[in-house]
Amino acid sequence: MSSESKPKKGKSSLAKRRALFSWLIPLANLRITLALLSFSMVLIFVATLEQVEIGIRGAQAKYFESLLGIWHYPEQFWGGEFLNPVPIPIPGGWLLGGLLIINLTAAYVTRFQWTVKKFGIQLIHLGIIMLLVGQLVTQAIQEESRMQINKGESSNYIERFHGVELALTDVTDPSRETVVSIPQELLEKGGSISSGDLPFEVTVKSFGPNCDFDAVSSKDQREGSSKEVDQGVGHSANLSIKPKSEDYSSEAMNFGHLVFELSDETGSLGTWLALAHPAGNHWWKESPKLADLAFQPIRHKGKLWGVTLRAKREYLPYSIELLGIANEFYQGTETPFNFESDIMIKMEGNETRRALVYMNTPLRHDGKTFYQFQMNNAADYTVFQVIRNPSWLVPYLACIIVSIGLLWQFGFHLVRFLRKNSLQKA
Amino acid sequence: MNCFSTIPFKVALVCVTVSILASLFSCSDEATVKTSVIAPEYTGPVVTWILPETWGENPALAGPMAGSFHVKTGEGPQGRIGVMPFRESVSSLEMANMFAREIGYGTLTNETLAPLLEKKTVGTRDFEWIRLEEQRKEETPKTVLLALYRKDSQTWLFPFIGGRDLVDAELENFSLFLESTVLRAGIEPIRALSQPVSPSPAPAPSGPIAPDWSIPSNWTPGQASSMRLASYKVNDGQGNKLDFSVTSFPGDVGGLLANVNRWLGQIGVQPTDDEGLKQFVRPIMIDGLSAQLVEASSADKALYAAILMRDNRSWFFKLSGSKTLAQKEKENFSAFLESVCFHKP
Repeated sequence: MSSESKPKKGKSSLAKRRALFSWLIPLANLRITLALLSFSMVLIFVATLEQVEIGIRGAQAKYFESLLGIWHYPEQFWGGEFLNPVPIPIPGGWLLGGLLIINLTAAYVTRFQWTVKKFGIQLIHLGIIMLLVGQLVTQAIQEESRMQINKGESSNYIERFHGVELALTDVTDPSRETVVSIPQELLEKGGSISSGDLPFEVTVKSFGPNCDFDAVSSKDQREGSSKEVDQGVGHSANLSIKPKSEDYSSEAMNFGHLVFELSDETGSLGTWLALAHPAGNHWWKESPKLADLAFQPIRHKGKLWGVTLRAKREYLPYSIELLGIANEFYQGTETPFNFESDIMIKMEGNETRRALVYMNTPLRHDGKTFYQFQMNNAADYTVFQVIRNPSWLVPYLACIIVSIGLLWQFGFHLVRFLRKNSLQKA
Repeated sequence: MNCFSTIPFKVALVCVTVSILASLFSCSDEATVKTSVIAPEYTGPVVTWILPETWGENPALAGPMAGSFHVKTGEGPQGRIGVMPFRESVSSLEMANMFAREIGYGTLTNETLAPLLEKKTVGTRDFEWIRLEEQRKEETPKTVLLALYRKDSQTWLFPFIGGRDLVDAELENFSLFLESTVLRAGIEPIRALSQPVSPSPAPAPSGPIAPDWSIPSNWTPGQASSMRLASYKVNDGQGNKLDFSVTSFPGDVGGLLANVNRWLGQIGVQPTDDEGLKQFVRPIMIDGLSAQLVEASSADKALYAAILMRDNRSWFFKLSGSKTLAQKEKENFSAFLESVCFHKP
C-alpha cells in the first residue's frame, strides 16, 4: 500500500508534513488499511448471504448504504440454532468506505514522499482514492429509472424503479397539461404542502410505501386513516388500508398509499385516498371499481385536476420512438445473445437522431445512458434501464491515473536498472 | 524537483478536489415540488364548471350525468340542473321527448317542437334552447329548460328542471354557469361517479396461492413481470413466437366481455358484443371448476385463453402470438389446462 523508503530529496518535505499533520499519523497506519479491507471482505460475504433472503436492494440498503448493519448468523449453518438469536454488528459500506478514504488520505499526507521518484506510487494511491470517492458520489447521486415503449409509439418520460410521487395534473387546457408532482420524501415528512402552481394545499394524513387494501361493506369497517376518506375512489369503493413495511425482494408487490386532504381559502375540499400500483397505475383500469385510482378527478374553480400516486416520473425534453425490436438466440438454443431496439430520438426543433440500442451498447444522450433492459417480442415493447450518473467518468479517470502511476513507477525502475546495467558492462 | 510540496501546488490541489466534489454533489436532486408542462396525455372527458354561489352540487349522480346541481333556497335545495354528455349527435326532438311526456306534452313532432325552440348565444357558444312547461293549470308549473350545445359530433345537454318562478329567477345564473363550462369529450367513455358500493369481493392485493401445473417441454421461461405468476415463451426457430402468461386478479376484472374485447384488440380483431361473444367463448372445466375458453385469431395472430373464477379471483391463462405457431401449440395449451390443479395431492 505504501512505501517506507526515505530518499534524501523528499525527507525534509516529509518531515515537515509529518510535523504539521502529526494528528494524521495514527490514522495512516497500514494495520488500519488491512483491517478495513478484511472487514470489507466480511461485509461482502454477509451481504451475499443476506441477498438470498432480502433481495439485492434490501442487502444494498442494509449493508452497503449504511454505517452499520445487524446480521444474524444463519440458522441452517453449523450451530445456527444457538448463534442465530445473537445480533452481530457488521460495519456498513459507508463506514468502511469513509474510513478507507481517511486512511489513504492520511497515508498520502504523512507517509508518502512527494518526489519524482515516488510520483508513480502517489498516482496509484490518488487513483484508488478517486475510485472510493467516485463510488461514494455515485451512491449519493446516481439515479436508476426505466423507460417502457410500445412498438410504433413514443415516450417522453422515465420512471424511477423505487419511490413514488403524488401527481396532480391540470388537464383543462386541450393543448397542454400542467403536472405538479410531490416527491415521496416530502410525503414522508408529512404536514401541509403548497405550491404556486396548485390552487389548493395538500395535507398529508398518512403515507407509507406498502399496504394491504380491502373493499369493506361500510365506512365503519375501514381501518386507520382510511376512515377519514370522504372523496374519490377510497370513498366510493369503501377501501380500507393496512400499512405494512416495504418488501425489498425482487418479486415484491409494494402498494404505496397516501391519505391526503385538499383545502383552499374556503376550507377543506375533502379527504382522498391514493394507491400506487407496483406494476404501473394503468393496471387499476383492470378493475372497474378501482379504475379511477389512475386518475381521480377533482373539479376546482372551473378546472379539472386528476390526482394519482405513481412511480416517480421524470419528463424529458425529448421523446423516443420505438421503430422496431429484434432478439437473436444462439443457434439451436433459447439463450439470447442479443436484444436490440431500433429507436428515433425526437428533439426540439424537429431534430432527430436514430440509434440502435443493444446488449452492452447503450445509448448516451443528454447526460443519461439507456441500456437495453427487457424486451417482449410477442407483446411488442421494449424497456430501457436509464442511468443518470454525472460521476460516471470518475472510475475511468481513476483507472487511467492508476495505470499511469504503474507505468511511471515500473518505467522509472526499468530505466534505472538499464542504466546501471549498461554502466556495469562499460 | 520537490515542486509538489510548494504552497501554491497544495492550494491548487485542494481547490481542484473541492470543486470536483462540489460539482458532483450539486447534481443531486433536492426533494421539492416540481411543475412540468407536457403535451396532453389524458384521454378521458374534460367537463368542468364554475358554480354560482347560490347553487350546490348533488353528490349522487345517476345515469349519464356528469354533474348534478340544485339551487340553495331558504326552503332547502330546489330545482335540478344537470350536465349530460352524448358521444354522438342527438336530435333536438329526441332530447325534448325525453322530458316532454313526463310533463304532459305527449310525443312532440318537429312541427310541435318548432315554436318551443330558439337559438341562443351564451358567451362564445351557440345553444339550442327548449322551454317546456307542465301542461296543467298550476300557479308555478313544473318547467323544463333544455340547453343543447353541439360540438363536432358530440351533444351536450344541460337540463334545468324546477318550478317556473325558480327557473325564471335563476336564468342569469344558468347562463353564467353555461358560459363557465369546459366541455371536451375524450376517447374514453364518459362515466358517472358511482356511490359507495355494497359488500363486494375484496380486491386483496396479497399474492394468490398459485396452482400446480405442468409446462410443455418446448415452452421456455419468458420475461418475468410483477403481474405474472408464470411467464413462458414458445419459439419455433422460424420467426414465429408465442407469449404465455398466468395472471390472477381479485374480482371479475371487468367481466368476460371486457376481457375478451381487450384481448381481441391485442390481436387486431374488432371488439364484439354479448351476442358475438359466443363465437369466441365456450365453457370448459379446469380442475373440476367451470371456466371459459377463449379462442380468436386475426390474419397473422391468434390467442387461446382460459378464464377461471375461483374464490372471488379471476385466473387468466393466455397464449398469444403467431397464428401458425399458436395452432400447433393448441394441443399443448389444452394439456396445460388439464394439468392445472389448485389442491395439493
